[in-house]
Amino acid sequence: MRMELLRGGYAEQTLRLDPRIKMLMVVTVSVILTAGGYGGLMTYIRPALAVLPLLLLLLSKRWAASLLYILCFGLAYFGEYFLLSRTYGVVNFILLASFSLFTRFMPGLMMGYFLVSTTTVSEFMAAMRRMHVTEKIAIPLSVMFRFFPTVREEYSAIGDAMRMRGVVLAGGKPLKMLEYRFVPMMICSLKIGEELSTAALTRGLGAPVKRTNICSIGFRAQDIVLLLLCLASLGVYIQWLFVH
Amino acid sequence: MIELRNVTFNYRQTTSASKESGLKNISLTIRQGECVLLCGESGCGKTTLARLINGLIPHFYEGELSGEVRVDGKRLPDLPLYETAGVIGTVFQDPRSQFFNVDTASEIAFGPENLGLSEAEITSRVEKVAREMRIEHLLGRSIFKLSGGQKQKIACASVAALCPDIYVLDEPSSNLDMAAMTDLRQHIALWRSQKKTIIVAEHRLHYLRGLCDRVIYMRAGRIEQTFTWEELEALPLQKRTSMGLRVLSLDELKLSPSGTVAPLTDTLEFSDFVYTYKRGEKALDIPSISLPRGAVIAVVGLNGAGKSTFARCLCGLNKHFRGTLTLAGQRLRNGARRRQCFMVMQDVNHQLFTESVLDEVLLGMKKEDKAAAEAILDSMDLLDLEEAHPMSLSGGEKQRVAIATATASAREIIVFDEPTSGLDYTHMRSVASNLARLQEMGKTLFAITHDPELIMACCTHAITIDRGKAQNVLALDGVGRQAILAFFLRKEGERDAVRG
Repeated sequence: MRMELLRGGYAEQTLRLDPRIKMLMVVTVSVILTAGGYGGLMTYIRPALAVLPLLLLLLSKRWAASLLYILCFGLAYFGEYFLLSRTYGVVNFILLASFSLFTRFMPGLMMGYFLVSTTTVSEFMAAMRRMHVTEKIAIPLSVMFRFFPTVREEYSAIGDAMRMRGVVLAGGKPLKMLEYRFVPMMICSLKIGEELSTAALTRGLGAPVKRTNICSIGFRAQDIVLLLLCLASLGVYIQWLFVH
Repeated sequence: MIELRNVTFNYRQTTSASKESGLKNISLTIRQGECVLLCGESGCGKTTLARLINGLIPHFYEGELSGEVRVDGKRLPDLPLYETAGVIGTVFQDPRSQFFNVDTASEIAFGPENLGLSEAEITSRVEKVAREMRIEHLLGRSIFKLSGGQKQKIACASVAALCPDIYVLDEPSSNLDMAAMTDLRQHIALWRSQKKTIIVAEHRLHYLRGLCDRVIYMRAGRIEQTFTWEELEALPLQKRTSMGLRVLSLDELKLSPSGTVAPLTDTLEFSDFVYTYKRGEKALDIPSISLPRGAVIAVVGLNGAGKSTFARCLCGLNKHFRGTLTLAGQRLRNGARRRQCFMVMQDVNHQLFTESVLDEVLLGMKKEDKAAAEAILDSMDLLDLEEAHPMSLSGGEKQRVAIATATASAREIIVFDEPTSGLDYTHMRSVASNLARLQEMGKTLFAITHDPELIMACCTHAITIDRGKAQNVLALDGVGRQAILAFFLRKEGERDAVRG
């Protein structure tokens, strides 16, 4: 009766991709944009890979994240082109550092967000098994997967508590602010991690049998296209490495 | 059959579980199909005993274990957790942190998937469990959009999908409202009719009436006494409260003494307390209401009725909220209310930031004044602990530190979000006396609560909220107390809470 409900990961309804392809895209985008340079074919590959996470976020209706990405990346990209050539000395250095931080790391981060927010734990476990990753690695990773959304809830509760205490901008003591936010965060995370683990273990996670998956993963046309894109980009990157 | 013989256990001190008491020389036999209630004050060892029966001790929580623990003749410590997963199922206290999937159906299928059952078998189990527990309407929903009670139903279903012979429930009702407790009761009744063995460790007892074959009362890691429900009920109320036990039925609260409520002339005027979610649903719809200043006001209603939204709006935590509160002739908007109100959160760990109790209080002061801070700590019985790290304290002490920070920053309104969830009778009483103490200091208090015992113990007024609307404001004199109890008894009977 409800087979489609049972199969469909709730997080992902508009665009279905194999989790392995998503992981490959995270690796491709972050490696090439952080470590890769410019020149030759890279001139085309870089913008293409920077746009990729945006396209995927839009297709999966992550409007807020898409907007954030457009704003941050767009500003930094604009800055790199127009401001860097017009400034000198220390200012130039600071601008360069902050702009390239965004243009180099943000696409990888957004790709990671796409992976985490659109992949269910079941799909992730299935992908890990297909890739023959040992359970010793797969289980902690799957707990982490589930951990992020919960920690985000904690994070916002702590933020509320800080606003209520009026320690939002504690007289310009940024280190203190970090401490105030992260000490309670660590305590709560430990507790959640413990509770998640006990809930999973008492329900048989880690049993040495072939785990069933009622969600189906597998390559479709869209996966093949993205796979080819990643392979081509990585090929160009490796060629670029040899040249330089 | 579960057999424990001369079991002694001590936690290794490194885990966060170390606040739980160990066990001393426990011998206990639980027959197939029996329903056993483990009760006693916080830290009496009931959670530890539950963890021993579901195998988390010694496989997850480590420590020194001696004696025999057998399930159906097999030594439990020799069986890894995945082997007992199909035999012993556990429902935990906090529904938020029991989930591995984002949608309900996958969550129910999670356990059977781990055991490698066939797809056809898993699908039929999910359908069967959903039908039996009447949660078909919850299948295919996002877990993040469920209320606490609905989450706990899914947690129960995901355990039931493993078809265990033994159910262990560790304080399963702590975060539930009256309607959700009734549902939980029905789940337990269902498992009981299926001749399952059930072990419930609980503080709140009244919802288990008529289900338990045996009540085991624990103290300091030992089994102190064993009762049938009727034997326990036959004990005088006073005797039971001195044992740290909550009431066995809400009717018992009718007998509690009722005082007269001192007339309060000053008021808090709320206006435009209307809050709409982005999706367009109205979460809160109180155009105007007037509540007494200096009172202890219980805010009651089902999960998702709008109590938390009311509290967040009151404390100025919802951006774009336009409502105002008039206090002593001053109209307070969001920002001003944030300085005048304080919320003691349900998870008080979220609001303790510093390295010592004294620093915590000083942080809230406009001008750091050590003498004044110490006076406040003294008034909350915390002076001995002023050098202690807040995170090293017990739950009750942490709550008092949070209260101390609120008084230090001279807030007039203090909101308590579920201050007594998961507390035994003794600790519930001490929360009640903290509230009374704050009232004497001239504060106005709000307690969002599902706990009628707390309301009877210290609240002077109550406001009931349903679907975002304020229904009644009651002064809790003789008549008001009966009315609020009737409200709880009625809500206990209503099934299917409003979605949160």
